[in-house]
Amino acid sequence: MKRIFVIFTTISLVFTACEKEEEIIEGCTDTGSVNYNSNATNDNGSCKYNLSINFTHTIDGNPLEINQMIYTNTASQNYSIQTLRYLLSDITLHSANGTSTLLDEVHFITISDPSTFNLDIQDLNSANYIAISFTMGLDSLKNITNNYLNESFFPSFSWPDFIGGGYHYMQLEGDYTTALQGYATHTGGTDGIDFSFTKHFPISLNIANANTIVIINMEINNWYSNPNIINLTTDGIMGNANKQSLLQANGIADVFSIFYPIK
Amino acid sequence: MKKQALFLLCSVLFFACKKDLAPMSGCTDNTAVNYSADAITDDGSCFFFSTTPFIIETPSGFPEMNIPSNNPMTVEGVSLGEKLFKDPILSRNNTQACINCHQQNFSFSDPNQYSTGIDHIQGIRNASALINIGWNTSFNWDGSSLTLEEQAFEPVSNPIEMHNDWKVVESTLNTHADYPTLFKEAFNIDYIDSNYVVMAIAQFERTLISANSKFDRYLKGEAQLTVSELGGYAIFNSEKGDCFHCHGTQMFMDNLFHNNGLDPEPFTDLGLGKITNNASDNAKFKTPTLRNIELTAPYMHDGRFSTLEEVVEHYNSGGEYSLTVDPLMKKLGVGLQLTNQEKQDLIAFLKTLTDNNFISEK
Repeated sequence: MKRIFVIFTTISLVFTACEKEEEIIEGCTDTGSVNYNSNATNDNGSCKYNLSINFTHTIDGNPLEINQMIYTNTASQNYSIQTLRYLLSDITLHSANGTSTLLDEVHFITISDPSTFNLDIQDLNSANYIAISFTMGLDSLKNITNNYLNESFFPSFSWPDFIGGGYHYMQLEGDYTTALQGYATHTGGTDGIDFSFTKHFPISLNIANANTIVIINMEINNWYSNPNIINLTTDGIMGNANKQSLLQANGIADVFSIFYPIK
Repeated sequence: MKKQALFLLCSVLFFACKKDLAPMSGCTDNTAVNYSADAITDDGSCFFFSTTPFIIETPSGFPEMNIPSNNPMTVEGVSLGEKLFKDPILSRNNTQACINCHQQNFSFSDPNQYSTGIDHIQGIRNASALINIGWNTSFNWDGSSLTLEEQAFEPVSNPIEMHNDWKVVESTLNTHADYPTLFKEAFNIDYIDSNYVVMAIAQFERTLISANSKFDRYLKGEAQLTVSELGGYAIFNSEKGDCFHCHGTQMFMDNLFHNNGLDPEPFTDLGLGKITNNASDNAKFKTPTLRNIELTAPYMHDGRFSTLEEVVEHYNSGGEYSLTVDPLMKKLGVGLQLTNQEKQDLIAFLKTLTDNNFISEK
């Protein structure tokens, strides 16, 4: 038995050795990829990479601390944050050759669940990505009552049909001035008007050779500052299209920013 | 190799001998329910374990029910679960069944503020209504159970409820005239383990679906709401009434926990906070669905309000301040400022959520 095996192995070796000089094995030759093939001799462009999108939240540049009456808005009101929940949709990478890759149709983030702070993308193609874009909230094609029945933000994020239907874009809540007063900055499609907005950030991201992180930061205080100074009130704003419009303008201006490692 | 041959030979001899004595026929397929190890010739009597799937019809505006993959819904399982739910055999002295505190006439809730266990001891919370709970993501007022199966373990052994021991339950069921067969049919098991008891009960509980109220028929265009009911519907969905943030969609709940301003500190019942050990969760309780709310008095986790009028008045007055009170409740000292007509309309609307079929069905 042993003898037969030895003979067989020898023949195999000889056979392989002869052929090896001509054989080309196609595959991914980048050791930093998730599908690196150590046998591959020729890179066929199949390398895949992981990308992690992280969602962070700051106030005046500092990490958010919940339930602390330590923040002051441009209208000089002190306030705290107890709840922050929001939807980003159509999170998309754009590459130099003009193609775009949809990373997630809808991503729900809530500060009560840190697992929502990451969006892990697997098996992304190697490319030079030149921009990332996303929509704050849901555009009118998506923002339809019962459109997302099986998502984690149903049923708690729904927006009544009486004032336009669909879903909240954001629920930002806490106390202002005193602990006895609550505010609720709830944004959404008041009266069916599309107040969502898309942010488009140029980046220079070549993800080949490493797994990469892109940070999307929300600077919360800027919702109330620029260009429109917004006062917190106990009155709800879900039926107030004017206030939604002011918040949308502030959101477009400077609420979101992007960070990513530069190689 | 030699050994194997010997064994084979012995086997053949053994069977050959036996065959001469008593030729056995029966089911020779060892995957069959009635497999007979003694049978040599198959007489075509084999039957195999099979169950009939129980199809859950998802009501309009509801997500797919999240059914655990290890406990699929079957007609046999649901039927067994219903029998167990209504059988006092689960309680230590055979006097109390699940249904005693979850009465169908009251949408599977207890009309008493606190339920009384077999030892005549009362708890501190009102028994929850069991309605559309297959869509809940946690159970009990404090979210202490994450699945219906897990939840069903608790009342049986709780000293202030059925006060039994699961070992005793298993032994009682295994020696029962009917249950071993029913469990065999539902789960293909020969020994009744407590895990299968709660699986059957959970299957039955997932069938307690209500989506045929007057309001549902109104949405389908099959019923009209009165002016008062429509007025209440509008207040419910306005930020003035602000009911919808917690009781929104056709599910009329949000699967979340809130402190709705019932009490100032110090809290006597920490609710979710006691489960999570997180002070910011203190006095938060699970939002119940408002479906069949007319039938499930008394209200709140501790059954403190006996009428819907008292409930509406609580929200209208603004509630009590505490560190964890929900920001949406914070019009403290101001409240909703509803007129008497608006309060009546709101209650009229809530009563359109009553589903009489749900309480009359077998």
